[in-house]
Amino acid sequence: MKVPVRWLKELVPTELSAREIAERLTLAGLEVEAITEIGSTWDNIYVGVVERIEPHPNADRLVLATVDAGTHRLTVVTGAPNIAPGQKVALALPGATLYDGHSVEPKLITLKPSTIRGVRSEGMVCSEKELGLSDEHEGIMVLHADAPVGVPLREYLGDQVLELEITPNLVHAFSVVGVARELGALIGQRVRYPERAPLPVGGPEGLVTIEAPDLCYRFVGVVIEDVKVGPSPWWMQQRLQAAGMRPINNVVDITNYVMLEWGQPQHAFDRDRLREGRIVVRRARPGEKIETLDGVLRELDPDTLVIADAERPVGIAGVMGGLESEITEQTRTVLLETANFEMRSIRRTARAQRLRTEASARFERGLDPNLAWEGATRAIALFQQLIPGCRVTAVVDIYPNPRLPRQLCMPRSEIPRLLGVDFPDELVLEVLDRLEFQPELRQEDGRAVIIVQVPTYRSDVTIAADLVEEVARVIGYHELPEALPLGRTVPVEISPELRLVRAVQDTLVAAGLTEVITYPMVDEAALRALLPGAATFPDRYGLYPRPERELVRAVNPIRPEWAIMRPSLLPSLLRSAAENLKFNRAVAIFETGKVYLPRGLDELPDERRTLGCLLAGARHLRDLYHEERPVDYFDLKGVLETLLPRIGAPDLRFRPLTHPSLHPGRAAEVLVKGQPVGILGEVHPEVVEAFEIDPDLRVVFAEIDLQRLLEVGLEPPRLRPVSRYQPIDQDFAVVVDEATPATEVADAIMAGAGALAVSVRLFDIYRGPAIPAGKKSLAFRVTFSAPDRPLSDEELARLRERIEGHLRRRVKGELRR
Amino acid sequence: MSGEVERIRQQALAELQQASSTAALAEWHGRYLGRRGELTQLMRRISQVPPEERPAYGQAVNALKEELAARFEQREAEVKRSELSQRLAAEAVDVTLPGRAADVGGLHPVTQMIREVTTIFNHLGFQTVEGPEVEYGYYAFDALNIPQDHPARDVWDTIFIVSDQKEIVLRPHTSPMQIRTMERRQPPVRVVVPGRCYRFEAVDATHEWHFHQIEGLAVDEHITMADLKGTLAEFARQLFGQERKVRFRCDYFPFVEPGVDFAIDCMFCRGEGCRVCKGTGWIEILGAGMVHPQVLRNVGYDPERYTGWAFGMGVERLVMLKYGVPDIRLFYQGDLRFLAQFNRALA
Repeated sequence: MKVPVRWLKELVPTELSAREIAERLTLAGLEVEAITEIGSTWDNIYVGVVERIEPHPNADRLVLATVDAGTHRLTVVTGAPNIAPGQKVALALPGATLYDGHSVEPKLITLKPSTIRGVRSEGMVCSEKELGLSDEHEGIMVLHADAPVGVPLREYLGDQVLELEITPNLVHAFSVVGVARELGALIGQRVRYPERAPLPVGGPEGLVTIEAPDLCYRFVGVVIEDVKVGPSPWWMQQRLQAAGMRPINNVVDITNYVMLEWGQPQHAFDRDRLREGRIVVRRARPGEKIETLDGVLRELDPDTLVIADAERPVGIAGVMGGLESEITEQTRTVLLETANFEMRSIRRTARAQRLRTEASARFERGLDPNLAWEGATRAIALFQQLIPGCRVTAVVDIYPNPRLPRQLCMPRSEIPRLLGVDFPDELVLEVLDRLEFQPELRQEDGRAVIIVQVPTYRSDVTIAADLVEEVARVIGYHELPEALPLGRTVPVEISPELRLVRAVQDTLVAAGLTEVITYPMVDEAALRALLPGAATFPDRYGLYPRPERELVRAVNPIRPEWAIMRPSLLPSLLRSAAENLKFNRAVAIFETGKVYLPRGLDELPDERRTLGCLLAGARHLRDLYHEERPVDYFDLKGVLETLLPRIGAPDLRFRPLTHPSLHPGRAAEVLVKGQPVGILGEVHPEVVEAFEIDPDLRVVFAEIDLQRLLEVGLEPPRLRPVSRYQPIDQDFAVVVDEATPATEVADAIMAGAGALAVSVRLFDIYRGPAIPAGKKSLAFRVTFSAPDRPLSDEELARLRERIEGHLRRRVKGELRR
Repeated sequence: MSGEVERIRQQALAELQQASSTAALAEWHGRYLGRRGELTQLMRRISQVPPEERPAYGQAVNALKEELAARFEQREAEVKRSELSQRLAAEAVDVTLPGRAADVGGLHPVTQMIREVTTIFNHLGFQTVEGPEVEYGYYAFDALNIPQDHPARDVWDTIFIVSDQKEIVLRPHTSPMQIRTMERRQPPVRVVVPGRCYRFEAVDATHEWHFHQIEGLAVDEHITMADLKGTLAEFARQLFGQERKVRFRCDYFPFVEPGVDFAIDCMFCRGEGCRVCKGTGWIEILGAGMVHPQVLRNVGYDPERYTGWAFGMGVERLVMLKYGVPDIRLFYQGDLRFLAQFNRALA
């Protein structure tokens, strides 16, 4: 909302600058977002009076005007059709900065004396457009007759405009009067309310009928006859424009002016264009339409509250009037509506019609019905001032349930209880008095209470805490001390899940991966793309089986590609990889995000904390020491083999996996304690390509269900004694069938060695002429150590024999000699 | 014969001085002190010495042997040191060549900020908890004193989830966890809640439809707005520097009363007014206030006995302010060239 500072200061006279006013209001909850200046460019422009007009010797359409501006007296050449002797005008001297009157775009020029058709023009009388006030350039701007000659125009007309953000609770401050009340309370000054006209109630039966009393709480209808429609005076137009509204004509401008001043929207109908000259407030009938003032033909649903005449809607209540009954130059009789409507209904209608107006913005915040009377009486005062000779001939006020001030009782102790600091009684009472709450400090049941009468326009004050806020904000939150909470503390325990996530993140960072956070939403195309060929949806989304139910879906996604809550991290990470591979040769990323598995339609989904890791492109960039090589399955497997034992996942296993999105020969299920917790594999080249990544690049992906890991049970380290004796390394070359998994061979060695083998490491795989076809030789280095003794040669020989036996029995392996 | 001993001595010492490598030294050692070396030969020749001179001869040879052994040891040490320094000299490298990199990745700046902020609050006695992102309208709005069809709802442009009877939304703030936390426990309550939030909002340099918030809540007897002010000031100074000034002003959120907007003095212009603070000298970093009595009643707490305060802040904004990130969209484009700039260990 825009509040011109001059207007505000007329109601609350103060020496404070606009900036100081803005500061006070902002601290008290009325945030001033900006202060704009009107007339900041007006140097060398003064209020002048036109002394005489003479014809231009060489041009019929130009005149010579002599203008007196006190210390300056100039003759200017002008073509303005409306100039006349005695007018007060804005006189620009050479050097003044003006907007170019002929330029469509705002363009500043500096005025120089010039010769027009052979006559020297020493300055210029300005149009509104030249002053940057409006687009009006038909004639010069004529100032009010009171304008003081010789005064700089900026002093006379310049203004500053506060732009306030009106939070939903601030309907009482949605007007100049409202802001003035706030400012008055803050600086301890009473508001000088604008003049209103007495209005005797009386009028014909049936002038106004309310058929929907649940949606219309009050209707003040005033009939004004002998109205002469014309432009409103300059001062009113100026204020409307400063507040961001366009002047239309005197009648409409009065209603808008009252709305800006008091916050009460009004509507003026041309009564002669109302069927039977009467008003009915009712719900719209099926099929009814109305063409509103903005020229749009609108269909009305039966929830819409309308202002109708005897036959048809002539306005959408609280939102916008109808075109057919609008005020025109021919209007002689006005029916002025000043009403109060149910806020939710107005809000629904404004949303349904996509029509947010100054009126609806105020009604939907819940206006005080008592304000209608103030609005009507103020409007009539303005009618009488602006349109001499107009007559009020009927006044009806339908207001079956008048709203009365609310009495509120606050324990005196509530202030220190909530604020942690107390203020003297006198100060508290003075603040509440400045807010016009009529406070009274009393003893009731042995305790001190403050009783207030909350003005009806303060619908936001309903409980004691509201009063505490009033006291605190008027005194100023800066008066509150800084303390730390006293009293009982709670154990700060961090959940196992949070600790796990943190450990996973830290380990992966140390392993060279960078954390990304991706949008957790995908679309159907991305899910289909997880199946090579994308003919339909895969039966698994990453780690998780495709749910039977519909996935979690947004009704109103920001973009269609963000419509579905992801069931796996795979599409998110593939998208991130695709973007990054445009700029990087090596991508190593992870996300510890959530996947969203649907439950019932009205149930919240299962949000599972999941780890996704992705390597793509090169593993190492070529440098002095490394050749570059493409990533593969084993790079990411190594990461998991580092990660999982570090976070306490015992007994880690990998078993071959067939997965729709993964390479058929390079994919594994990840098991902890025999339970599947994740998947790992190279992404299928067709899937890679579907995500717009070069299919010749290898992409490796792993997805681990972190919640599942916790369910399976992470374990603290099991300590084994550290031996004082030298460990002994022995190598075992084992010849097995090509198809035998290496893990099983290592397991057989471990089983044979028992507790004495502290590590078994595969260091070579040999295939070739030295061993039979269809076989491979796996070379393991086994480290033996006993905690309590050096191992003797005999013992080692026995171990070797036992290992040999296990290899033979379990994997049909033979030791190479 | 004693002339012969002296001759050998002169010769041996001269040759020792010549020997400048380990190999030459070994050869010298063999020649003079070895089993068949010159000294052994000299000793053997004692038989040719007249008997009365033999003791003196024997002593002279032994003395020479000792002398040579000592001189050898000395020379050997010299040679070894000189050989080592030659080797080291030969091993000199261009120390400015790049090292062999240890590949270390990094945490997302939002994760880092969440850790930093929650750690500060953990140390102030707040427990970190998390809650669902897909949330019932009841928790996201109604229980927080934001009724259906209330203009306050417009503040949160919400993304809705397909459902049947119940209203389900993507939470537009972390505040629903105020309700969930209080439903589960009795006072005292002190929690911080980090998490993702979503709004139906056009994306630009300062707005994202997907972002993170951190909520805080303290409820007990004797919890006051002065504590809120002190706690937030302490937090802001730990995060943005001890010299920060703080500003508390009145603001409106339906689930608190009194409501607070919390700002710090602009660290870019030190409060003078600049583009970042829009000329005001202040930067708003969070909204807060005393928990509304209706909210306490909604979870079954007695508002006459308990008071509380709550606050909520945008994490991305904190990162943007702290590190001068110009555009919020950078966080979720996932560009490693951006993210890698935050690869650092937390202070």
